[in-house]
Amino acid sequence: MSANIDKLHDEHSHTPSGIMRWITTTNHKDIGSMYLWFSLIMFFIGGLMALVIRAELFQPGLQLVVPGFFNQMTTMHALVMIFGAVMPAFVGLANWQLPIMIGAPDMALPRLNNWSFWILPFAFTMMLSTLFMESGGPAAGWTLYPPLSLQGGDSMPFVILSIHLLGLSSILGAINVIATILNMRAPGMTLMKMPIFVWTWLITAFLLIASMPVLAGAITMLLTDRFFGTSFFTASGGGDPVLFQHIFWFFGHPEVYILILPAFGIVSTIIPAFSRKKLFGYDSMVYATASIALLSFIVWAHHMFTVGMPLAGELFFMFTTMLIAVPTGVKVFNWVATMWKGSMTFETPMLFALAFIVLFTVGGFSGLMLAMVPADFQYHDTYFVVAHFHYVLVPGAVFAIIAAVYYWLPKWTGKMYNESLGKLHFWLTTIFVNLTFFPMHFVGLAGMPRRIPDYAVQFADFNAIASVGAFGFGLSQLLFVYILFNALKQKVTAEDKCWEGAEGLEWTLSSPPPYHSFDKAPKID
Amino acid sequence: MNNFKKTYLSLTLFVAFMFSFSYMLVPLYDIFCEITGLNGKTNQTKIINIDENPTERYVKVKFTSTIANSAPFIFEPVDREMTVQIGKIYNTLYTLTNNSNSIKHATASPSVAPSEDAEYFKKIECFCFSQQEINGLETKELPLQFIIDDDLPLDTKTLVLSYTMFNTTDQIGSN
Repeated sequence: MSANIDKLHDEHSHTPSGIMRWITTTNHKDIGSMYLWFSLIMFFIGGLMALVIRAELFQPGLQLVVPGFFNQMTTMHALVMIFGAVMPAFVGLANWQLPIMIGAPDMALPRLNNWSFWILPFAFTMMLSTLFMESGGPAAGWTLYPPLSLQGGDSMPFVILSIHLLGLSSILGAINVIATILNMRAPGMTLMKMPIFVWTWLITAFLLIASMPVLAGAITMLLTDRFFGTSFFTASGGGDPVLFQHIFWFFGHPEVYILILPAFGIVSTIIPAFSRKKLFGYDSMVYATASIALLSFIVWAHHMFTVGMPLAGELFFMFTTMLIAVPTGVKVFNWVATMWKGSMTFETPMLFALAFIVLFTVGGFSGLMLAMVPADFQYHDTYFVVAHFHYVLVPGAVFAIIAAVYYWLPKWTGKMYNESLGKLHFWLTTIFVNLTFFPMHFVGLAGMPRRIPDYAVQFADFNAIASVGAFGFGLSQLLFVYILFNALKQKVTAEDKCWEGAEGLEWTLSSPPPYHSFDKAPKID
Repeated sequence: MNNFKKTYLSLTLFVAFMFSFSYMLVPLYDIFCEITGLNGKTNQTKIINIDENPTERYVKVKFTSTIANSAPFIFEPVDREMTVQIGKIYNTLYTLTNNSNSIKHATASPSVAPSEDAEYFKKIECFCFSQQEINGLETKELPLQFIIDDDLPLDTKTLVLSYTMFNTTDQIGSN
């Protein structure tokens, strides 16, 4: 019996089977997969909410939903996409990739890792359940500005508790990432030899532990203002609602870089692989990422130029915001220089990475326009802002995640996806994403406010185009799901190093990698 | 193993620090507002220098009022506009009427525009310093005594003092 157990132990078949395997797992690959599947589900739930919004906005007037429900949709769409789709997808990629990229056997805190993941489904069940309450879900926008958010229905404490849980999950995940990267690298892998994706995640993790506790503080103050008689933001008790905006955006601006820095890491990994060249300016990429992260803590008030600020304050936040364009420009030029004279091929991950560079830069430029105080007074709270942050989040963060899935799917599963279908998915997605979000620039500049269920008739044509684009984009993602399942059904195993130009420790492993990899640390020269 | 523990400990401490930092932002914000006069917060604690020989400089002061969240009040300044000499003490009144039949508590929150000049608008006595208790259908006179500081920038010709009256009956009741 004991000999038998020893033998089984070697093969690691002591893992519980069925559902218990997934509930009790401490394996970074299992947890990474769960994060990614969870994020895909949330992407579709959040996408469904976006389609409710776009269906209502297809033409002026109120057609499908009442304004209150429309506001719940805009609020929940943002919360689900940010905390449910993009952040868990990046954590999933970190779980899968960090250990096999730095030659570690697993994450530093495997049990905590399990807990970080399993908090999420419960937190989101609670958050989404508020939509079925009598008073409906939260409707004051994802930024939860008081006094409006304090006047909401019964959903408010539930939403706040679920955001607390999501923050807890992110903080634990970030501590795990930092501990793994700092302590578990293979011998010989110095910090400046780490793959760039690892670097971007290390910096993201620091942003997470610095900013998520501030959000926790801000929403705790909201909670005590509403239920325990404090007056942090209640003017009648001497509080100030503008204070909330300051605290919120002190978290909020680092948060938007949490949503994009790992995407930079992914693109910086994929571009060299398909250009068959080393990443141009590795060191400057690291320093640029670090300076973007540092700058993110001193620019928060550019989200609130119109609340009334001294001129000196507006100038300070305007110039620091514009300063961020410098390290970001360094990155974009480095990507272009990496491709220069490379022998490029255009497989699906590369196509998504290239579209990322072009379209993220469009979003970056509209960000620069918004950074200008006098211009921002015109653009503030219009659809131009909506166009801006969707350009950096959808063809930015989401495209990078899709690119990463195509790039590493053969490594994770040992199955290659269908390249023609992948390319079709790319072209449909790219065309529809622009059809959806580009017209929003025009209606925004013409003065259409955001977060409204009805609008003036002169905005009708561009809104109709955007709605068609949104449905096209949503349906194209069903093709992505089909491609994933179609790939998993393949019988042929992908090669260990399925991309000719791919570099890194993960490609020295088999495809799929063994359940426990790098039990003995590899040697790095 | 020691390295791991050090990492966890320092990261956890950092998280705890950042959580308390969000609370530290509250007093920091108040100090910042007081220094800069941001949000039109008026200075209420500084010592006031009453000029023996006020300068022959005049400034227009306008008074406005707002009632928050449609509370059952009528709240209005008696003088909507005054021309005041800088460095001299002035008195004026607001009136508050309770339109309901029950006792209400009310608090006023002041704001000065332009906010950069808020620090020069000094209130010696103000109903905004305390809670007001007002019986049903009663009308109360709320006194205000103020002085405009000598250091008011020369290009300021008009100051607006605005009060928002809040119904705090529920908050008093729950305490």
